[in-house]
Amino acid sequence: MSKNLFRRSLAEQASFLISLFIVSLIVVLICYAWITGDTNPPILSVTTDKIRQVEQQYYIPFTVTNSGGKTAHFVEVIAQIKIGQEQIAIGRQQVDFLSREETQSGEFIFDRDPQQGELTVRVASYQQP
Amino acid sequence: MNNRQRQSGKAKGDNWRSELEEIISGASGGFLFGIPLLYTMEVWSIGSYVQPNVLLGILAITFVFVLLINRIEGFRPRESETIPGAIGETIETLAIGITCATIMLILLQRIDLRTSLIEALGKIVFEGVPFSLGVAFSRSLISGDPNGYSDNEAKSQGSDRQQNSSAWKDTLTDISATIIGALFIAFSIAPTDEITVLAASASGLWLLSIAIASLVISYGIVFASKITNYQERFNQSGLFQTPQSETVISYLVSLLIGILMMWFFQKLTLSDPWYLWLRYGIILGLPASIGGAAGRLAV
Repeated sequence: MSKNLFRRSLAEQASFLISLFIVSLIVVLICYAWITGDTNPPILSVTTDKIRQVEQQYYIPFTVTNSGGKTAHFVEVIAQIKIGQEQIAIGRQQVDFLSREETQSGEFIFDRDPQQGELTVRVASYQQP
Repeated sequence: MNNRQRQSGKAKGDNWRSELEEIISGASGGFLFGIPLLYTMEVWSIGSYVQPNVLLGILAITFVFVLLINRIEGFRPRESETIPGAIGETIETLAIGITCATIMLILLQRIDLRTSLIEALGKIVFEGVPFSLGVAFSRSLISGDPNGYSDNEAKSQGSDRQQNSSAWKDTLTDISATIIGALFIAFSIAPTDEITVLAASASGLWLLSIAIASLVISYGIVFASKITNYQERFNQSGLFQTPQSETVISYLVSLLIGILMMWFFQKLTLSDPWYLWLRYGIILGLPASIGGAAGRLAV
């Protein structure tokens, strides 16, 4: 007996329907992402959270977000502590890929209290993949 | 008349167990073919930035390839003699491949709740392609014979083997086969950075999940699927020849092989803490146990 869509057993029909649902779902989601897709360049922003102190180290949590359309590659985040015009500490982090609407988190670690000066956390650069 | 045609006559009535076994067989092939690419960072990266129209194109091309394979192969033991039948089997093949790839990506934390939709879809499609091809080739991938084993052939060979071999010999053969299979897969993955990257993001609960998944997948390949000489495995003698004990012992062997490989490639040193050894071992133990399972099927 040849196997076709109309001669399948109940078990095979159930498998086929579940499979059809899975493949259709993937196709529909890709189409949705395509239609609603934003083709603008990446828009990168970084926010910081509450600083925590462990022994003599200061941990500065940050979250970088891409609210633009395209994916950013090698996103560089820089944190600086300045007192007046003098830069007393600097930290750098790199995020490999940041897709549309994606966020990545991390922490900068300084041995100087950021509250003694002015803390700046910013995105410095990225590459197009 | 080949095996597919012979078995096609048996397919009457609703046989849920047989259906499940066929799906597990297909998934086993998917894991064997897809696991090396799952441990490749470049594939994760490609999935991160590819545009949706390209993803649709890749899915369409994969569909055509799998459809062509299903006209002569396929994961089901019965032939898809009609075009609608082959299309149906192709949809099932892609669904199994995509599902397996998604589960593994979640397990290895390459997809989580913070991953954007398009990135998740990119990774799923790119990893789903090798898994789907593995599903389509599943019967010939392990047995090396597109017609597979028939039950009777397996049983007769199994009984002959049981008479001729001692428990010790079977045990030694199984351990050797597991070591060779695990080495075959782990050797090419161990020196890469993927293990350290994956280990860095895995918590205790995730490691436990990966260990359980390793056991389930290797059990599925050897005992739950009907790809090849599974009846022979059940009939085989040996010191730990119950399916459960063989799976656990073989996993421990694969784990050891994984750890040794990491040490061999200087990813682990004696000064490293024990939990790092365990962590790397479990991460590499997943592909190693899949290779070990394939190795045991080959003997």
